[in-house]
Amino acid sequence: MTFIKKFINFKGLIGTSLVVLAVGTAIIAPLVIPLDYATNMDMRARLSPPTLDHIFGTDQLGRDLFYRVMLGARTSISIAVSAVLLSLIIGLSMGLISGFFRGTVDNILMRLVDTLLSFPALLLALTISAVLGPNFINTILAIGIAFTPYLARLIRGEALRVSQMPYVEAARSAGANNIRIIVGHILPNITPVIIVQFTISLAFAILAEAGLSFLGLGTQPPEASWGLMIQASRDYLDRCRQKDFRSPQWQRRGALAAK
Amino acid sequence: MSYVIKRLLSMTFTLILISIITFVITNILPGDVAIMIMGTQSNPEALANLRENLGLNDTLFVQYGNWVLGILQGDLGTSLLFKMPIGPLLLQKITSSALIVALSMSVALLLAIPLGVWAAVHKNRWQDNFSSSVSIIGVSLPDFFWGIMLILIFARALGWFPSSGFVHPNEDIFLAIKHAFLPSLALGLGLMAHLTRMTRATMTGILSQEFIRVARAKGLKEKVVVWQYGLSSAIGPVITVAGLQTGYLFGSIIVMESLFNYTGMGWLTYQALLNRDIPLIQATVFSIAAAVMLINLLIDLLYPILDPRVRLS
Repeated sequence: MTFIKKFINFKGLIGTSLVVLAVGTAIIAPLVIPLDYATNMDMRARLSPPTLDHIFGTDQLGRDLFYRVMLGARTSISIAVSAVLLSLIIGLSMGLISGFFRGTVDNILMRLVDTLLSFPALLLALTISAVLGPNFINTILAIGIAFTPYLARLIRGEALRVSQMPYVEAARSAGANNIRIIVGHILPNITPVIIVQFTISLAFAILAEAGLSFLGLGTQPPEASWGLMIQASRDYLDRCRQKDFRSPQWQRRGALAAK
Repeated sequence: MSYVIKRLLSMTFTLILISIITFVITNILPGDVAIMIMGTQSNPEALANLRENLGLNDTLFVQYGNWVLGILQGDLGTSLLFKMPIGPLLLQKITSSALIVALSMSVALLLAIPLGVWAAVHKNRWQDNFSSSVSIIGVSLPDFFWGIMLILIFARALGWFPSSGFVHPNEDIFLAIKHAFLPSLALGLGLMAHLTRMTRATMTGILSQEFIRVARAKGLKEKVVVWQYGLSSAIGPVITVAGLQTGYLFGSIIVMESLFNYTGMGWLTYQALLNRDIPLIQATVFSIAAAVMLINLLIDLLYPILDPRVRLS
């Protein structure tokens, strides 16, 4: 009964449905919508406000924004998910090693992390993306690297806490080796923290991708991405008020509420 | 005092690390600076000469050494894009960005503290829900969305503020603030969210403590209890978070200054990145990271003044 009550929590329900909507769109839209729907240019209906033909209106080239927003979901979400996974893989190994072995390794790694934290994440991501040349893969790399120090820091703290627990000591005296302790005892006990941080980072990664694309240093034009669409529409603000602004908000709100 | 010295020493070390990281990131760039300066059609001899002059034939280690020596002597190199020494350029842009950073932090704190306290006082009632909705909307939208909306409302429709451009604070401080106001407001709205939540969380904790009950029991007015007793204990953590947020802020000014064509540090960084102006990228990235670090150090050192219960150790 309590489980059901928790599940029917109003905020949680809104959050879950928004996440399902966004992720569902990202997965299903490219399968169902023919690719040329998003690139078909209807020159007579450029910058049109929402109509029955074009539910979200059209952009400066007469492309249907409803389809573009739906297809953009895939770009934005897949970049965000891969970037956060990347930072999780690096951050997790750095954090676990630091927190478990402590001593010199910990000192060196955490010095590095502290220094990286002095670079604003967006600045780091922008620089890496500009240096490597902006495209889909490098955007993932850039955001992933920029997010790593935060995860490494958090996981190190947790690993440090857990590795001082009596059950870790018990495992050690029972003859378990380091790898076994880390994988079997420490990792499962810090998973909740990782999951929470993962969802938060996901939301920030979507915003970061939007920011990068907005500055032209993220996803490049023929692809549809939310940040890129806002950027392209910026010059036409006077002429057309209906834009696809809402989507990142929904996305973000969903990710937050689901947590 | 020994704490301060220790912090300063570790700061020096971090600065060195920052310079190494900056140098490494900017040197994984495929491409030849000499070709970028002279164009792909230039003759090979001139290119070779230029490479020699720029020191591009030296090992990376020597190049790094020269770069750091330059910084220590106040020489940051020459921008390829603006064709002028970077030092003076940077100095001029830093003041205009400092204005934006200070303004947006004030906007954020002025909105977040009252909202957070209000939510904490009326915990779990509509005021609390209202404040958390406001902060969720604040974080949900990218900063540049607020920027675009503010341009539409205050610049285009109402015409109260200029939509782009900038005036240096030394020329006319009033006009400078007028130009910096919209970008700062947009940044402040984004920052506000985290600070509101932080204020609410800290205040809720403090309001349930004994000394607050005692203050109420001895008949102090609710206003005094909340704003004087409560807030003065809660302000420490809030300021610390605000300090951490400046890092985030320095990232966001890149987007915001480009949107508003406000020629500060962020705009300069963006131009450098877009045009692959390596010396300028190095200089801006390094100085932004150094600035973030210094601000955090400053806040750590100021903390005991704000909250006398804390002693430096």
